[in-house]
This record gives sequence, C-alpha cells and structure tokens, in this order.
Amino acid sequence: MVLTLLKESLIFALHSLVANKLRSFLSLLGITIGIFAIILVFTIVDSLENNIRDSIKSLGNNVVYVQKWPWIFGPYPWWKYMNRPLPQFKELAELQKRTKSAEAMAFTVGGSKTLKYRSLSVRNAQFIGVSHDYWRIKTLNLKGGRYFTRNESDAGMPVVIIGAEIAAGLFQNTDPIGQEISVSGHKTTVIGVLKKQGESLFETSDYQVITPLQYARGILDIRSEAADPTIYVKAKPWVSNTELIDDLTGAMRGIRKLKPRTEDNFALNESSLLSTGFDSLFDIIGMAGWVIGGFSILVGGFGIANIMFVSVRERTSLIGIQKSLGARNMFILVQFLSESILLSVLGGVFGLLLTWLMTLVGSSIMDMEITLTGANIVLGVTISVLIGIVSGFVPAYSASQLDPVEAIRSTG
Amino acid sequence: MKRPKILTVICVLGFLSIVVSFPQVFSPSVKKLGMFMPAVFGLLVAFSFMAYVGVWFMKRWGAELFAITFFAKLIFFIANNQMGMSLWFSAIFHLFFLVVFLRHYNGMDKNL
Repeated sequence: MVLTLLKESLIFALHSLVANKLRSFLSLLGITIGIFAIILVFTIVDSLENNIRDSIKSLGNNVVYVQKWPWIFGPYPWWKYMNRPLPQFKELAELQKRTKSAEAMAFTVGGSKTLKYRSLSVRNAQFIGVSHDYWRIKTLNLKGGRYFTRNESDAGMPVVIIGAEIAAGLFQNTDPIGQEISVSGHKTTVIGVLKKQGESLFETSDYQVITPLQYARGILDIRSEAADPTIYVKAKPWVSNTELIDDLTGAMRGIRKLKPRTEDNFALNESSLLSTGFDSLFDIIGMAGWVIGGFSILVGGFGIANIMFVSVRERTSLIGIQKSLGARNMFILVQFLSESILLSVLGGVFGLLLTWLMTLVGSSIMDMEITLTGANIVLGVTISVLIGIVSGFVPAYSASQLDPVEAIRSTG
Repeated sequence: MKRPKILTVICVLGFLSIVVSFPQVFSPSVKKLGMFMPAVFGLLVAFSFMAYVGVWFMKRWGAELFAITFFAKLIFFIANNQMGMSLWFSAIFHLFFLVVFLRHYNGMDKNL
C-alpha cells in the first residue's frame, strides 16, 4: 500500500518536473549551487586537514624533540628563549645515560647547501648531519643502497644518502649509488637513495641529503643557531610521551645543573602540540565553510518552497479532480512532497557531480590530493533531502487540505 | 477549532528553533560524530518541523510526532555523549512545549 503510494507519487512528480522543464531547471540550480558550495568547502577543508595530519604523523607520534625554541609559544616572554643555550652533541651521551624511558636518541644539525655532480647542480638541498641512531627514530625508506655503518658514522666518512628529487636532479640517467658528488666543495660518495615521499607541510625527504654528523662538522657549524641542533628522542614502546617528557625534563635539568626553582632552559616538543594547534584552526575554517554553505542552501530552499507553492496553485483544479475521484489527503501530500524531495535531490546530485569534477581539476592543478569523501557525499544527499522536506512540506500539506469542490472551481 | 495563542507562540518559537537547528545538521560537531549522524539528525530536524506544522493546523498527529521526535532527539544526544548545558536547557523548553501540546490534545483534529 505504502509502496504503491510512493511509486504513484514519484511518477506524478516526475511527470510534473518534465512538463515544466525550465522551471524545474531554475529551481534545481539554486540547490545545485548551494550543495556545490557547501560540499566543495568541506571537501577542501577535509583534504587540507588530512594532508596536514599526515605531515604531522610523519614527524613521529612517539618522538620528543629537545630544542632551544618551542613549537607553540605560550604566555612565556619570547625574549627569555633568546638566552637559552642550544642543545649540544655532548648532551646526547649524558641524556642517554640518565634516561630510562628512551628507546633511541639522535643528534641532528642541518643547513641549506648546493650540490654538484659534473655539470649538474641542485641548489638549496637540505643537508642534514645525523648521529648513528637516526635510522632507529626516523623511518628511512631506501629505494637503493644502504644506511651508514657504525664505523662510517664514528669516523665521519664522506658518505651521503640522498632524497629522490636530489637524485633526479643530479643523476638523470645514471645510477647514483657509488657516484661522487660535491657538497660546498667537499667530495662525498652516495651510498643510498630514498624513495619519493611527495610534498609535505613540515619536511619531505625528497630534498634531503643525510650524512654522518662527524662528517657534517666539517661543512656546517654545528654550534650555530642556524644549524638548528636538535636531539631526537624516541620513547620505548610501552612508554607514553608524558612519561618520556617527565624523564627528559629531569635529565636535562640535571645535565644543565638547573636549580629547583629555576625555569627550564630547553624546549621539549612533540607532534601532538602541532595537532592541537591545527585542531582549532580547522574548527574555524569548518565554521566559515558552514556559514557560507548554510546561506547558499537557505537561498536554494526558499527557491524550492516558492516553486512548490506556484505548483500547488497551478494544479489546484487537478487536485480537486483527484480528490473527487477518491484520492486521499495522504496521497496528495506524498505526491507534492515527493516532487519537492526529487527536485532537491536531483539538484544535490548535480551539485555533488560538480564538486567531484572540481576535485579532479584541483588535484591535477595542485600537488595535493583532494578527495570527495563518502561522508561528504552522504552529507550532500542528506542536506538535499532535508531541504526538499522542509521547503516542500507546507505547500504539500496545504494542497492535501484543499476542499475538492473549491479546488475544482479554481481557475488556477 | 481556533488555535490557542499559547500554541501560536510555541509554534513560532519552534519554527525559529528549526531555522537554528537546520545549519547544525552540517556543522563540524555533528559531522565528527560519524558518517551517517548528520543524516539521522537531519531527519529528526525535518520531523520536528513537520510536527510544528501539524500543531499549527491543530492536528493530533502534530503533537504525537513532536513527542516522538523529542524523545528521539534526547536519545540521539545522550547516546552520542553530547548533552551539554545548552542542550539540557533546550530539552527543558521542549518538554514544556510537549506538556502544553498534550493539554490541548483533546481539542485537536484526529484527521490528517
């Protein structure tokens, strides 16, 4: 019974939409633009958020960075940070002795350098000097070659592991492994090539040149602020970051001989600090998208309501005939409501289709994957159905309440 | 039967609350609850709107639909652990609306 009612109502609705093509198209347009605007904003925000979260994840969830500067500034006056000492390589050994919750530690320094191979060169390569255990903290996906041996690290041998873009820039058709490149005039041998990682907000290995710290000392001033000396500390599997930070705080204060009432003169940074900062940013962007899209949808909804009222008025005499032939109020109500929902859902589907096309165009133009997610598709369809119900219910209900005699008399 | 003034006031307030609730369907907070949560919440908002329309036309189904959506919304928010102060406040208001609707229930029309 209900299915028959729905089927007949849908057929009526389809006939009506086809009979008034231009009007249907114009009212579809309002919803199409509304759904397109709101779902496109949500899609872009979601894609950006995923991209940034992936970048944060690449920093390591269980890694704490001992540095001079914090990643997020609090109420602490910035000029006090200026007087803090930089982390030093000798502190790494002390820290290893004093902490029990760390699985691995590494000291790193970095700087921007020009690399040369025969006539080819790559500018602004990220030259990083690392202590041996760096591989235990950062996952290095090697496309070819190997990591440094303990002897190479300790002796500071002139060997490097290069990122995919560096390899592509210097060795177009040659295998980079075993080749000699020049870093600021120093000859060094390529022993490994990293797999391509792609663009990332924080750091990408594609432009990195990793070398033993002892070798980097000859090229970079590891005690300068510009080298950004950092101690990476990875927690043991069963140790939380909070426990690790407590352990490191005690150890660092001991190493630097800080008195109990003296403030810390080091920063312990972790990736969750960045996630928290971005959470509020994405909430704001999401809210902005929500307001912009909300207004577009509202306008589309009024358009559908208007069309439905016109439709009821036009077909008043037809409603009268239907009722006098035995059509029940419920049938008239469902008939007009189906028309409104159908109109709205069609508009929504076109809006989603447009959004999908835009994501394809956007993904090909930008170096970022923009994906129309299942959640956003469900949301788009939901909003369309909702708009259809809310804007079509009153016209449909007033149509169902018409007196058959009065309705037949109506000239429409 | 003529609609009592209190029902007119409640219905106008109800329509305004629908206007406020409608954008919440696609708000980030509801989106975060799960893929189909905006759809469920959206249907509840749509049914609330229908209920107010029903009460506006002094129909019993309006009051009945209002009671169903009121409890369904309450379950939705409690199940999703979303009942903050503002929602409890709103629930008390809606409970008051429901009591008023039930007081005038006998004077309402049984038909659609």
